[in-house]
Parts: sequence; structure tokens; C-alpha cells
Amino acid sequence: MRLRKTSSYAMRAGKLLAVAVILAWSLLPIGAIVMASLKPAKDIFAMPQHLLFHPTFVHYIALWQKWPGFFHGLVNSFVVTVGATLLAVAASALAGFAYSRRRTPAMASTAGFLIAVRLIPPIVVTLPLFPIVNTLHLEDTRLVLILLYASFFVSMGALLMRSFIDQIPRELDEAALVDGAGYLTILRRVIMPLAAPGMVSVAIFVMVYAWNEYIFAFIFTSIHAKTAPLALAEMVSAFDGVDWGVLFAAATVQMLPVLLVVMLMQKKLVAGLTAGAVKG
Amino acid sequence: MGRGVAAWLLAPAHGLVLAAIAIPALYVVWLSFTRSSFGQAPVFIGLSNYFDVLGDPYFRRALWNTLILVVVVVHVELVAGLGMALLFASGLRARALLLAAVLAPYAVSQVAAVVMWRFLFDPDIGPLTLALQSVGLPGLDWSVSPSAGLAIVALLSIWMNLPFTFIILYAARLSVPGELYEAARVDGTTRLQSFWHISFPLLRPAMLVAMLFRYIFAFRLFAEVWLMTQGGPARSTEVVGVYLYLEAFRYNAFGAAAATGWIMVVVCLLLASVYLWRLRRGMVADAVA
Repeated sequence: MRLRKTSSYAMRAGKLLAVAVILAWSLLPIGAIVMASLKPAKDIFAMPQHLLFHPTFVHYIALWQKWPGFFHGLVNSFVVTVGATLLAVAASALAGFAYSRRRTPAMASTAGFLIAVRLIPPIVVTLPLFPIVNTLHLEDTRLVLILLYASFFVSMGALLMRSFIDQIPRELDEAALVDGAGYLTILRRVIMPLAAPGMVSVAIFVMVYAWNEYIFAFIFTSIHAKTAPLALAEMVSAFDGVDWGVLFAAATVQMLPVLLVVMLMQKKLVAGLTAGAVKG
Repeated sequence: MGRGVAAWLLAPAHGLVLAAIAIPALYVVWLSFTRSSFGQAPVFIGLSNYFDVLGDPYFRRALWNTLILVVVVVHVELVAGLGMALLFASGLRARALLLAAVLAPYAVSQVAAVVMWRFLFDPDIGPLTLALQSVGLPGLDWSVSPSAGLAIVALLSIWMNLPFTFIILYAARLSVPGELYEAARVDGTTRLQSFWHISFPLLRPAMLVAMLFRYIFAFRLFAEVWLMTQGGPARSTEVVGVYLYLEAFRYNAFGAAAATGWIMVVVCLLLASVYLWRLRRGMVADAVA
């Protein structure tokens, strides 16, 4: 009896230690730069690190004054993220509706096609797209990023929406059909309200991707449509270790919006990640 | 639902995927058989791009680096993710809060993550470098040592992608019926036994799925390396994605870059197919049993 008790204490201590390690691993890198962005320049590399300090916003003010391009990038990122999210969610909902309500071998093979295409690395398609985008005069526009980001997420989005719409009883749309409603009406009045949680899941994935994406923005934008990650990357190479405080302020600003969304909406994200991964 | 309606509903998604991914990917096949650079008409040259690329020591180095990174990163993630899934399933206080913390790196952009890890491991003044030095360990000087460069890229990749691996395994663990563990406990099995005889076999399909996904996605590695080391010093930490980018957009060798792209797809599928095959076999076995 006594032995068992000590071993359960040891177990609890072990668990506590494991949780501490996991928390440190996940949050320490994020916390480190957020804290450093609030410290006066001379304290950022002070050893040992001070955990308690008077926060200062000097780096954020300097960022605002010296790097207007970064805020332009934030605006671009915002527009691109909203555009890509709306487009991807709409296209995914339409396709998911069809996949849920019509089960034929042909439908299954088009779904297989959508999955297979996801195996192609994004960087590979930049090769032919680069001249095409230039010919169409889409280079350095937000539109090209919106189209690309949506394209790379509709596969997963469509399958995710199918698994959500599958849970809506078919009798509901059949009743509406009998009443003379068209498929678009059914989609708008019956399916979309009930599948809203699914659409939110898809939207979160697209948002995280579009807000943070680097390769396409790097290759297809240069000045006007430059997104925040790209502006941040340019600051990394421009500084080369000189003005860390401003860099940390920029990284914090770029990171915070989506970080908050993910942490607040974790339940939806987990539901989506598991549904998409296991079924798709 | 009629065929016509379904076709209209599928049209937007397929239009996007065809125009942005499928047709360009096929065009890359054609491009890989030609010599071309930006603004020039391509000339058909057969397989020689493939021979050139496979014979290029820089490509081999890049492929080797990629394979090492993928294998290390994916397996470390799998072991850590499995451990975390079991820990979370064993009952923790404030689980929702912990889950939010664990998912946080998923929301961080590659660029911001690079900023963090460059700061922590800065060779001269990084807090982790100083901490390591204070206990007599060397830091990770990625600007000088290729293996340090790859190590920091691996750390960064694991940090960013562990949430994904963990979530898949955690969801699978939650779907294992609790009665199984209770029955085992009644029979007097130890924790280790119930892991080997219940958790491990039942989680195997999810582990394979997670690995398959991660193999395919880890192979695309580009931004982490590009932003951390630019493939340097002296092209020693290049990965296949970086090699492809340099061939296309720095050396204007679109044909060679296209060949690299297809080699990338094929190698990545070969790596993944082992798991795909095992997964299939496992499913057949489950269906029979």
C-alpha cells in the first residue's frame, strides 16, 4: 500500500515535470520575443534575463516611424487573407455539398484528384506560373496571392465540408426540394446555417495559411502587394543583428492576430485537423 | 442530386485547382524535358536535365540534407507527439488551456519562428547560446558550421509542426474506448503492458497517417532554410526546395529546376509509399481480423 502511494506521487511529479517541459518548449520562443520587444534595447541581451521589467513601447514607435513598408504589408496581408478565406470557404462549401449529396464513382475520382494534387509542392508550380502571371500582368498584385492561397486549400476544404455536411440529414433537403426550392436555395437556407461550424473550421485553416505564407509571396510580389511575412523577412536580412528591438516588435505584430485566433478557437481547429487528417 | 447540379457545384473548386496547380504541374513535366530560361523559347532536350541535376554535387548535397532533416524531424515529432498524446489523455488539470498553449506554434509564421530561433541561438549574444556556454556546451553557430545550421533548422521545423502530429495522435488516442484500459487494469496489467498491447496497436494507423502527411510536407521545406542560412555557408545547408529556387530564379535554368521539381515529387512519394503500403496492409489485416 505504502509503495503504491509513493509511486503515484512520483507519477504525479513526473507528469508535472513533463507538462512544464511541454509548456516551455511551446511558449518560451514566443514569449521570449514578445518580452524582448517590450524591453529597452540595452536589456534585451542582458544576462541573466530579467523577467520583471517596465515595458516600453519605444520599439513599436520606431517600427511605426522607420518601417512604413511593414504596415503596408500588414494591410496587404489582411486583404489577401480575407479574400482567400472567402473564396476558399465558398468554393469548398459548394464542392462539399456536392460530395455529400451525390455518391458516384465519378465523384469519388474527382475527390481523389483533389487529394492527389495536394502532393505537388507549391514551389514546383511557381516555375510555370511565373511567366504566366507576368503575361497576365498579375505580378505583384494581391489577386494572384488570393487565387493561389485559395487553390491550395480547396482540396482539404472540400473534404472537410463534406464530412460536416454529411451530418446534416438528407431528409431536410429532400423536404425543401418537394417544396419547390432549388439547390442554391437549399444550400443557402438549409445547409449553410447548419454547416456553419464546418465553414468556421475551414476559414481558420485558410486564415492561418494565408496570413503566414512565405514562398508564393516571395516569388510573386515585390513592392505593391508585399505581405507582412515578406516585409518581416526583409527586416531580418536588413538588420543582421543590429536593431533587434524593432525586429521583435514587428514579429510580435505579425504573429499576434492569428495566434489569438488559434488559441481562442482551438476547439474548432482540433475538430477540423482531426476530421481532415483522418478522413482526407 | 443530378449530375448537372453536381458539376456546377464542383466547378469553382476544380477550376482553381486545375488552373493554379494541376495544369502548371503538367507543364513542369514538359519544361523538364527542355532547355529554357526566362523569356526564351524552350528547346526539347530529352532527359538531359535529369542527368545534369542528378549529377550535380550541389543537388546531391541538397537531397541528402533534405532526407536527413525529414527523417529526423518526422520521427522526433512522432515520438514526442505520441508521448504528449498519452500524457494529455491520462487526465490533466486545465487541459483546454494546455491544449491552446501546445497549439500556439501552429499559428506562428515561418518568418516569425526564424526570428525567434535566430534570437535564442544568436552565436554571440543569444540567451540559449549563453546558457549553453555557461554549462560548458557549445552553441549552434549556424553561420559557420553546416551541421549546426541543419540542427537549428530541424529544431525550428519540429517546433512548428509538432502541434499537427500531436493533434492527430491525441484524437486517435481519445477514440480508443476507455473500457479497454479498465478491463486491462482489472486483469492486473502494468501501465507499460497496456501501452504495448492496447495503445500502440490501436494508434498505429493514426501514427502512419501522421507520418505520411509529415513526410510529404516536410519534403517541401524551403522558407525555414532560406531565412535561416540561405543554404550557406558555401551551399552546404541547401535543401531540395532551395536548390530548385536557385536554379530557377538565380541561374535562370528553368529546365533543370523543373526536373528538380519532379525528382522532388517522386522521392517524396517513394518515402511516403512505404508507409502508404504498410497502412494499406494494416487496414486489410484489420478487415480480416
